[in-house]
Amino acid sequence: MPSNYEKEITQLVSEIIEIPEEKIAPDADFFTDLGVDSLKAIEIVAAFEKKYRLIIPEQDIPKIRTVKHILDYTKNIKKETK
Amino acid sequence: MIWDKEKIKSILPQREPFLFIDEVIEIESNQKVIARKHIDPDEFFFNGHFPGNPVMPGVLLIEAMAQTSILVYYLCKPEIANAHPTYYLGKVKSEFLTPVLPNDDIIIEARNIKITDTAGVVNTIARVDGKTAAKAEFVFGIKKNE
Repeated sequence: MPSNYEKEITQLVSEIIEIPEEKIAPDADFFTDLGVDSLKAIEIVAAFEKKYRLIIPEQDIPKIRTVKHILDYTKNIKKETK
Repeated sequence: MIWDKEKIKSILPQREPFLFIDEVIEIESNQKVIARKHIDPDEFFFNGHFPGNPVMPGVLLIEAMAQTSILVYYLCKPEIANAHPTYYLGKVKSEFLTPVLPNDDIIIEARNIKITDTAGVVNTIARVDGKTAAKAEFVFGIKKNE
């Protein structure tokens, strides 16, 4: 069962890439499985930063390729700021 | 004035009559550019848009705002911008609130939302006499020329 946070992230991605939430598996690769291009990718990053008041450094962006990666990335940031 | 037209032309690929920025009047680090464009009653587009009722086409206001967005990209990535890459527009979310008329001075504020080497998201507001004429958010790509 996905957490509320995972649902929020999936919804955010779904709105940008215009693919229904139920078709976005946590480990679906944005680029190879969901057809995300570099412009959609920066939209996802910008929306994520705005919603959660975070800054994702440019060098980290290519590592974030799935909803699961976003969840893991946020967990790491939370750990670092504790 | 912070940047004159020559400086702007050294950054933007557009030229008259398709250059829609006269000067940059304010810069905030790598976050914000404020640019100005005076709308001359003799602008080429007024002949047809519309005869006897001149209004600046919304698409050209968007173009002016997109050009200001490129200046924000230049602030963040001067080395790439100085190599004159190709800028291509991916997506625009816009809202038009008041018409722009002959002799108006458009003040365009463009703010960095997210910029990387290959793409940018920039938020813009165009105002005339302090009143918002249009708002637009741009998603654009940058392709380095070989």
